Amino acid sequence: MRKRQSRLTYLLIVILALLTLSPVVMLVVGSFSKGLNAFGNFTISKYVSVYSDPAFYAVLGNTLVFVGFSALFSTILALFLAYLNNRTNIPGKFMFKVISVVPMMIPHVLFAVSWALLLNPSNGILNLLLMNIFKLENAPFNIYTIRGMIMVEGLLDLPIAYLIIAPAMASFDISLEESSRVFGAGNMKTLFRVTLPVLRPAILAAFILCVVRCLASFAVPSVLGMPGRTYVLATYIYRTVTTGFIADYGKAAAVGMSILVLSISLIYVYRYMTRSSEKYVTVSSRGFKPVVIELKKAKVPLFIILLIFSFILIMLPILVLLYTSFVPYSMVPSAKAFASMNLSHWKNVLNDPISLLSLKNSLFLCIVGASLGTLLSIFISYVIVKVKTRASGVLESLSFLSFSFPGIVIGIGFMWFFVRTPLYSTIWALLIGYIATYLPYGIRPMTSAFIQIHSHLEESSTVCGASFLTTIRRIVAPLLVPGIVSGWILMATMFFRELSLSVVLSRPGTETMAVQILKFSNDGLWGRLSALGIIMIGISILLVVTANLVGNHFKPVTD
Amino acid sequence: MEIQIRGLKKYYYSEGKTIKALDDVNLTIPANKIFTLLGPSGCGKTTLLRSIVGLETPDEGEITIGDTIVWSSEKNIYVPTEKRGLGMVFQTYAIWPHMNVFNNVAYPLQNQGMPKAEIEERVRETLRFVQLEGFEKRPATRLSGGQQQRVALARALVAKPKVILFDEPLSNLDAKLREETRKELRSFLTELEITAVYVTHDRVEALSLSDSIGVMRSGKIVEIGAPKKIYFNAEHQFVADFIGRSNLLPAVVQKQVGAYTIVETSLGKFECKERDYPLGSSLTLCIRPEFIDIETQEGAKQKNTLTGVMETMVFVGDVYESEIRVGDVLFMAKVDPETTIEVGDSVTFSVKPEHCLLVSE
Repeated sequence: MRKRQSRLTYLLIVILALLTLSPVVMLVVGSFSKGLNAFGNFTISKYVSVYSDPAFYAVLGNTLVFVGFSALFSTILALFLAYLNNRTNIPGKFMFKVISVVPMMIPHVLFAVSWALLLNPSNGILNLLLMNIFKLENAPFNIYTIRGMIMVEGLLDLPIAYLIIAPAMASFDISLEESSRVFGAGNMKTLFRVTLPVLRPAILAAFILCVVRCLASFAVPSVLGMPGRTYVLATYIYRTVTTGFIADYGKAAAVGMSILVLSISLIYVYRYMTRSSEKYVTVSSRGFKPVVIELKKAKVPLFIILLIFSFILIMLPILVLLYTSFVPYSMVPSAKAFASMNLSHWKNVLNDPISLLSLKNSLFLCIVGASLGTLLSIFISYVIVKVKTRASGVLESLSFLSFSFPGIVIGIGFMWFFVRTPLYSTIWALLIGYIATYLPYGIRPMTSAFIQIHSHLEESSTVCGASFLTTIRRIVAPLLVPGIVSGWILMATMFFRELSLSVVLSRPGTETMAVQILKFSNDGLWGRLSALGIIMIGISILLVVTANLVGNHFKPVTD
Repeated sequence: MEIQIRGLKKYYYSEGKTIKALDDVNLTIPANKIFTLLGPSGCGKTTLLRSIVGLETPDEGEITIGDTIVWSSEKNIYVPTEKRGLGMVFQTYAIWPHMNVFNNVAYPLQNQGMPKAEIEERVRETLRFVQLEGFEKRPATRLSGGQQQRVALARALVAKPKVILFDEPLSNLDAKLREETRKELRSFLTELEITAVYVTHDRVEALSLSDSIGVMRSGKIVEIGAPKKIYFNAEHQFVADFIGRSNLLPAVVQKQVGAYTIVETSLGKFECKERDYPLGSSLTLCIRPEFIDIETQEGAKQKNTLTGVMETMVFVGDVYESEIRVGDVLFMAKVDPETTIEVGDSVTFSVKPEHCLLVSE
């Protein structure tokens, strides 16, 4: 048994090292190589040329502003919403669940595009509307600015921050607050003197994770930043490899190293913080009911704010895309607009071989990729939780690494890797890249599922005469179903909307839907983009619903 | 079936220190009896149990169950747990939450590939035996602690194993239920032709349940014997002290007189139950609180009489738990609840020689 476990551990370490370390190694080697996309001839000229270029520092400045303020925006919003949900008697609490889960099904690129359609300076729907109403000469808003990018990115990362802060807020030992009240502090004073300081690790963890996600973000900077020539590091790298006569991957890698180093350090800070936050936030075992703060007069306005948030996060992008997919060109919603609606964009998309190919590719990547990724996650989580050796610790650290991978940077590393294999420009290159980059999202729900399975449950099966495989099949697997389902859904939705890795790795024949949508966006084909986008969101929702149904079917009887 | 354990060793290494979980354990567990491994936590009793069932691999030694060697370091034999055909009740019960009662209990039979009809018959029979008839369809998550315990027992018994192992199965029950279940378990097990190995740190559980007790300390078996022998006639200070409350007094052997051994202590000479130690041996005199007889009549001179002052008296219902000071020694004593003695009174008491136990380190 022990021998088999340690063999499994080493096998997984090798697989994981190949998946996560090889692109990093390639990236490092590549950034020190002389050729444009070949290895060899050590040189630091790429670094010199990148880091002596004043343009780079302008980009770096943009990046810091974009990343810092987006993360701050998401964290503050998340804190506000989590507090409303857990501590007040605001009505419609199910909406918080909706806000934290549903945005997963709307691809980031589409969310960004919908805001471009609303607020672009030349014919944004909302801009045109306001110009008509107030008889303005110029568009009042311009989304193609760094402020626009911050707002959209902040909204996109809100669910991540919320999912970290809300559980901490919910498991908070209420007696800490109660004693503050006993000693004479009011609601507000208690909030700032007790609640927020105790929750600080969770809040900082949420902020750091948002920073890492913003650093890796490509959809918003490319859709909203590039038209106004506002470049951040991710789009700067993209421009380096897609424009010019021959793509200089070495230079891109040299830029990418700064994102990668920053991301990896932040992720390990995050990991350290979430560890101590478990110690910090006291989860009380007695069945307490948190004291609810009576909102009184603020109840209705706050509820309306909540409604507006859900509308902006979920309904608005879908409505804008639906509308745009039916009208022949951008116009303010009006009787005339509704009269001129037709299906021409839909017909165009459905007759476009590349769009159809991208649909097929994305479906394949999402279903096969998420299934393989989940399978790998099961084994890795098993070793991390159940095999307590030094090797399994190495595996855990390794599995955490790709949390920090910015898709576009690691994509360049993978490109170097795949160029040396027959996998280059095949769908398998994308598949492997996806699994490597998003594996932590599969592993996390699986490890928490494994932790819940007490070792006695397996041992008693063995004592009852069941073989290793029977124990897995009849005891471990059924108890893991909820973890498997949530891991699969997380990976599948991420794979389906994946953009940043795909823009580097996809070649003619291996386009994915998100890449195709970006192409439509660059070409200004908003109608087709919207039609394809609606199809994409529809499939996303269908996937999540089906996976949930399948999961419920296999779910253990609990009552 | 008899279980033979020979030279079993298991060491753990943590933070540079070696912990001997099993330190050369030699033990024969008699067939069809209830054998209890008793000891404080960390003494190695659970490691020993898990080695018998095969969930833990020792470093050295040999384990034989019946005629089969199931583990031997020398002969390189390891029979995997699932092939040992034993039954076990876990401390957490380990009832599978995704199955109902029937499937939990039927599981060992399903693994043997028994025909369905027969499985149903056997499960019903076993559930009747543990008084859970009609619970077949109940989801495992909707059972009380006591019911879960019975399901775990039924699962361990259903395949009619020759050996059943218990890993502190009562520690998760509340006090009253624990007492009831203990009695029940004793009657279940004596009804069956089965070897039971029971691990606990609770001395009352060990005394009331077992045919034979093995007391463990730091990976070693210190003493083995029937409950009465362990309680009244322990040979080691550790065992005497662990199995019940005792007053301990250093003592030196002076002479052997007939059926008695005379020892010298700081409180004078004591006439004790005979123990074959050479003159001059340093031993410990062990007197249980319930054997301290308070003298009520003046004059009637008993052996081993002392006089002291009553220092504390705590009324606990059936007795006063009291402390009597004699010189620098404080004697725990159980005093009749209807006594007229009060704190501060002078008290004379005696201990019969057969209740003066001499134990070695």
